Amino acid sequence: MRSEVLFLCLIAGGLTYLWRYLPIRLDLGGMGTRGWVARFLASTGPAAIATLFVAEMLPVIREGGPGLVHGAAGVLGVLAVWAWARSVVAATLGGAVAAGLAAFVFGG
Amino acid sequence: MERSGIRAGLAEAVPLMLGYFPIAFSFGVAATRSGMTGWEAMALSVIVFAGAAQFLAIALVASGTPVILAGLTLAAMNLRHLLYGPVVLQKAGAMDKGAGGSRRFAWAWSFALTDEVFGAALGALARGQRFSEGFMGALGFAAYGAWVAGTAAGAWAGGGALDGFPALAAGLDFMLPGLFLALLLSILSGAQVPVILVAGLATVAGTWAVSGTVGLFAGMISGAVLGVMSPSLMRRGQDAK
Repeated sequence: MRSEVLFLCLIAGGLTYLWRYLPIRLDLGGMGTRGWVARFLASTGPAAIATLFVAEMLPVIREGGPGLVHGAAGVLGVLAVWAWARSVVAATLGGAVAAGLAAFVFGG
Repeated sequence: MERSGIRAGLAEAVPLMLGYFPIAFSFGVAATRSGMTGWEAMALSVIVFAGAAQFLAIALVASGTPVILAGLTLAAMNLRHLLYGPVVLQKAGAMDKGAGGSRRFAWAWSFALTDEVFGAALGALARGQRFSEGFMGALGFAAYGAWVAGTAAGAWAGGGALDGFPALAAGLDFMLPGLFLALLLSILSGAQVPVILVAGLATVAGTWAVSGTVGLFAGMISGAVLGVMSPSLMRRGQDAK
C-alpha cells in the first residue's frame, strides 16, 4: 500500500470521524440552527454534492453516444424511484438498474 | 446495552445492507480499475466509511492531487455530518439533562453515522423506535460491515471483472452519479436551489475553462459562499434563533 493513500485515509477518515463525534461530545445541539455557521453548513453539503454530480455527468454528456443514453436512463431511474420510495439507497440502485437496462436494450 | 435495541438496530439495517453491498462492490471495482490496490480500496472503506467521498478519493488519487489537499477536500465534503449526531439526539430527546448516559458510547457509534445511517435512524425514531446506543451501534456497524464486505468483494473481483458484462458495467458505472443525485434529492429544499444551480454552473465553467479539479473547487466554493449570503437561508437562520 502506498503511504500517501494511507495518509489520505487517515486525514479524511480522522476529520470525518471528528465531524461525526465532536458535536455529540461537546453537546452542540444548537450549532446547526443559528447564524452564518448554520447557513454555511446547510449550503456546503448541497454545493459539494451538486458539484460532484455535475462533474460525474459532464464527461458523459461531452462524449455522447451510448453512454449518454445509459446516463439519461439512470437519471430518470433515480428520479422515479426517489419519487416513489424517498430512499437514497433504493433510488441509487434504481438508477443503476435503469442504466444497466438501457445498456442491455440499446447496446453500448 | 439492551438487547432489544440491538435487535431493532439490526432489523432496521437490513435494507441499508442490501443497498450498501452493491454500491461498495462498485467502489471496489472502480478503485482497482483506477490503479489502486485492493488493500488501498479496503483502507478507504475501513478508515473513512463515507461513500461519496471515497469515490471522489479515487479521482483525486488518480489525478495526483497533493495528499493534504485531497484529504481536506474529502473532509470538507463531509462537513454536513457535523449536524447528524446532535439532530439524532435532539430527535430522541436525549440532549435533556439527566440523559447524559445515553451518550456514553457515542465515541463508537458516531463513527458509523453516514448519510444513510442518519436517515434510517431518523426514520425509525419518527416511527416510534426508542433511542438507545445499542440501536445506533447495531444499525451503524451492520451497515459498515456490508460496506466493507462489498468493497472487499469488488476489490477481489478486480477492475476487469465486468469486461464481459456490459449491462452490469453500465449499471455499476452509474452507481456514483446515481448516489450523488439521490443524496441531492434527499437534502433538497427550495432555499438550496440557487446554491445547487450556482455550484453546477461554476463546475461546468471551471471544468471547461481550466480543468476538472478547478471545476470541482469552483463549484463547491461558489455554492457554499452563495449559501452564506443567501437571503432565504439567512432568514431561516434568524428564524431559528
